[in-house]
Amino acid sequence: MPGNPVTYAPLLTEGQSPSVAVRRRRERAGNAFVVAGAAVVLVALLAIPLFLGASILAWLPLPEGAWSRLGILIAGSAKAATCALLLAVPLALAAAIFSAQFASQGFRSWLKPGLEILEAIPTVVLGLVAFATLSPWLKHNVATLLALIVAIPVLLLAAGFAFGGAFRRQVGWLPLWLAPVLLAVVVAMIAVLGPLQKDAIVPPSPWNAVLVGLALGLAAIPMMFSVAEDALMQMPSTHVQAALALGATRWQAIRSIVLPAARPGLIAAFALGASRCLGETMIVLMASGNTPIGDPNPLAGLRSISADLALGMPEAAPPGGAYRTLLLAALVLFVLTFVLNLLAERARAHVRRTHAAPALA
Amino acid sequence: MRRGSSGEGALWLCAGAAAACLAAIVALLVWLGAAGLAPFWPAPIVEIGLADGHTLLGEVAERRGSTLVIRGSERERIGGAYARIEADAIVSRDTPRDAFAVTLSDGRRIFGRGDPPAADALLRSIPGANASAPAEWPNAHGLFGRMGTFLRDAGRFLVASTMAPSLAGGAFPALVGTVVLVFLMSLIVMPFGVATAVYLHERRGFAASLVRSAIANLAGVPSIVYGVLGLGLFVHGIGADVDRWFFADRLPVPTFGSGGLLWAALTLALLTLPVVVVSVEEGLGRIPPGLLAGSLALGATRGETMWRLLLPAARPALLTGLILAIARAAGAVAPLMLVGVVRLAPALPVDGAFPFLHPSRQFMHLGFSVYDAALASPDALRGIPRAYACALLLVIVVVALNLAAIVLRNRLRERYRVLEG
Amino acid sequence: MATTMTAPDNVPGTAAVTVELPAGVEIALELRALSLWYGARQALDAVGFGVPARKITALIGPSASGKSSLLRCLNRLNDELPECRVEGEVLLGGTNIYAKDAIVHEVRRRIGMVFQKPNPFPLSVYENVAYGPRLLGVKGRRELDASVEGALKAVRLWDEVSARLDDSALALSLGQQQRLVIARALAVGPEILLMDEPASALDPAATLRFEELLHELAQRYTVLLVTHNMQQAARVSDYVAFLHQGRLVEFGDTDALLTNPRERLTEDYITGRYA
Repeated sequence: MPGNPVTYAPLLTEGQSPSVAVRRRRERAGNAFVVAGAAVVLVALLAIPLFLGASILAWLPLPEGAWSRLGILIAGSAKAATCALLLAVPLALAAAIFSAQFASQGFRSWLKPGLEILEAIPTVVLGLVAFATLSPWLKHNVATLLALIVAIPVLLLAAGFAFGGAFRRQVGWLPLWLAPVLLAVVVAMIAVLGPLQKDAIVPPSPWNAVLVGLALGLAAIPMMFSVAEDALMQMPSTHVQAALALGATRWQAIRSIVLPAARPGLIAAFALGASRCLGETMIVLMASGNTPIGDPNPLAGLRSISADLALGMPEAAPPGGAYRTLLLAALVLFVLTFVLNLLAERARAHVRRTHAAPALA
Repeated sequence: MRRGSSGEGALWLCAGAAAACLAAIVALLVWLGAAGLAPFWPAPIVEIGLADGHTLLGEVAERRGSTLVIRGSERERIGGAYARIEADAIVSRDTPRDAFAVTLSDGRRIFGRGDPPAADALLRSIPGANASAPAEWPNAHGLFGRMGTFLRDAGRFLVASTMAPSLAGGAFPALVGTVVLVFLMSLIVMPFGVATAVYLHERRGFAASLVRSAIANLAGVPSIVYGVLGLGLFVHGIGADVDRWFFADRLPVPTFGSGGLLWAALTLALLTLPVVVVSVEEGLGRIPPGLLAGSLALGATRGETMWRLLLPAARPALLTGLILAIARAAGAVAPLMLVGVVRLAPALPVDGAFPFLHPSRQFMHLGFSVYDAALASPDALRGIPRAYACALLLVIVVVALNLAAIVLRNRLRERYRVLEG
Repeated sequence: MATTMTAPDNVPGTAAVTVELPAGVEIALELRALSLWYGARQALDAVGFGVPARKITALIGPSASGKSSLLRCLNRLNDELPECRVEGEVLLGGTNIYAKDAIVHEVRRRIGMVFQKPNPFPLSVYENVAYGPRLLGVKGRRELDASVEGALKAVRLWDEVSARLDDSALALSLGQQQRLVIARALAVGPEILLMDEPASALDPAATLRFEELLHELAQRYTVLLVTHNMQQAARVSDYVAFLHQGRLVEFGDTDALLTNPRERLTEDYITGRYA
């Protein structure tokens, strides 16, 4: 620079100031800690299958009958999960459709925390209710349960046709009015039908898949509901408005536009729910009877992988045959739930991608 | 306008589903409240006259249809004095005002009639019986007296110890075990969870996306599988090694080679890690980027900015994550069954002896008490009501924690609306 | 006697830009052929001029001319963006701030920045200003108090907030927040203040007060100020640099440049022939 003096002190460079060195060291330590934390997470995820796989490999061959026992356990888990999903999928999906398409903002702000509370209730408590209260009742009232399952939807449909028009205005809060009515109807039916059909159908075991399905299904609803609701709300309302303008009813618009578009999200909800039901332990432990029989009858008992692990592992000592079989069962359970979770993540990523694109344009 | 009605039915079905969910939640909570509080409401002592001339003095343990189960004086062992009576065999039924009940130190109930000296005499007539509390005359109480007994018994449930071997008495050891376990778990999970969340917040790239999908997958692993890892890797693996290196003189009695507080806390920390990471990362993401720029422009490094500005600003998110992790840990029973929870621990995991916290000890847990009381109680007619009482306590704690987290989350949103506005 | 700054001849694609400064003007920050790329897009092309010490220099130009990018280069804030690439030199006290062994946080301490929208931290007024000194290791309560008070007095905010030092900084008005942010920057002892449209979020009365403050600040600090407002540039600055599409078109004394611009582009912009 010709002739113009510089007025400020030279800039500090590396090695010139001790306090800078201290800050540099602290920064490096902080970074190391952060990376260590993330590394622990990765290691933890890998640790589970690696440990299980390594242990099994180290102690091959597996004892006699390990695979057939595993087969029974898998069948048991599948039976429990199926019964639970039979209850949870229709309820969660229908409730999600209502919440996404028909509910008022006010009602949604009641429904969401309500389901969050249900999700917060520990499953051991649900298992207790199933074991101590539901089971004695179900033992003598299987026919009543069947009647309820058939009658309630029919009544709802009929009520819809009969009163639908009158309640068109307050559709947003409809469930709040329906809930006490529903409870009253259920209680009335139980009281009336109870003595009439007593012991008409006798379950082979008071602790069975139906019992598990009721409790486990209820436990799985909140998570499936929130994923499904997210999926159903992705669809911008303009598309639905367009369909309505063309003369479709709200329901036709939902069926033809919203549901197909939300399909990946709904698949994700189903996969997550299935994974949850397969992995659940306490409800199955308390309500399934833990009988290792391969009986497809939903009114008979079952033994799931998770229950077998909970009951068997404290007793089994490594490297005995029982211990190895249980490790194998744990590995199978891990792989099953992992695959389902992966499926769900894929589906949700797909949803994020397809709905992010328009925003950039 | 008949067209509209073709959708009405389906709409009502959907509304009905939502209604059913709401009804189920309410019914469940109400039932839990009733069944959980019922055991503390003082039951009257009845005197039943039977057709064959016998009289039974005791309390009604169960009423199933037309069958009554009466618990009489348990002179020999707990659960050994139940009588099942059909309604048509009852000739007379009375609640005499001078009937008293004594609870012994092992939970047995003794009934009799008379005044306090008579109660003492009856007590002395039973070999080896100690009363855990003075005798009571429940039939003489009015409504307020009964409410007082109710509150007193409920309070005692919270602070009294559990009686061996009957599991009668209070839930205090289970509460302490749960609290200590959760405290230890928090010490482990918070640093790692926050570190991982900071990592995900700052870095993009392949490694970060790997970690993120690892978190998502960890969240979906069944809790029992964590228990298997805890048992196999921590207890039998690392624990056995620790025993061989540091506690060889105590072998073959295991110190860390069997389930205990430390391994349980570690296992639960792994289980709840995703919850903390997701919450903290979300909180960091809500902070307006202008704050980072402002701090850097002042000459702070990224690390200093994170530590001095961003993490403190995200404190509600950290708290929310912690609360949700605690709520999850309070309810996770399955993995604990494999890594150290017991029905009745010989000692509390915290006491006055150095080092005050004993991480190798076995412990009790409220959620496990629910399972154990229901399925494995020596006396089923006591077990189920006790299970419900523990369940109610557990649900109250967990729901309160979740509500606190919801309130915090709302306050977080408000705070950042102010910042951005 | 005029001194000319020209871009080095061996830098491709640059025409020599004549920068006229009276002799004896001290240069606080010297830019030499500064170029900036965001990925493949070039945002700055061989910008070279000197920021005169203890004067206010305004950086004007149409939108997307690179003014804010240039500012962010001067305190190396662009380093935080992964796809950024910088060529050329920026000399502070004779040392290139982009040198391999330069300490980034020292650069940022000495070259402070004020943003368009005031960004006080969600802390108390006191803690906002004390943030910087704490970073530098100042721990004693008395020293911190002195730093805070000095900084707040320098921005004429002390009287207004001395009773409310522990209140949240977010409760202040926008004009007060902007002055607080400057105080925060002053507390670490900078020599140069970079300001990116600092008054654009303020109402006219606050803007006027702000401009008075700028004049005071210029007695001790060098100010480089980006503004869209020509009248503000005229009121406030001593020197003006006109940027167009990433290139320095003209640089000179404010009165001279605004009344009698030498380049056609500059004249078009000033007379409003394009935004």
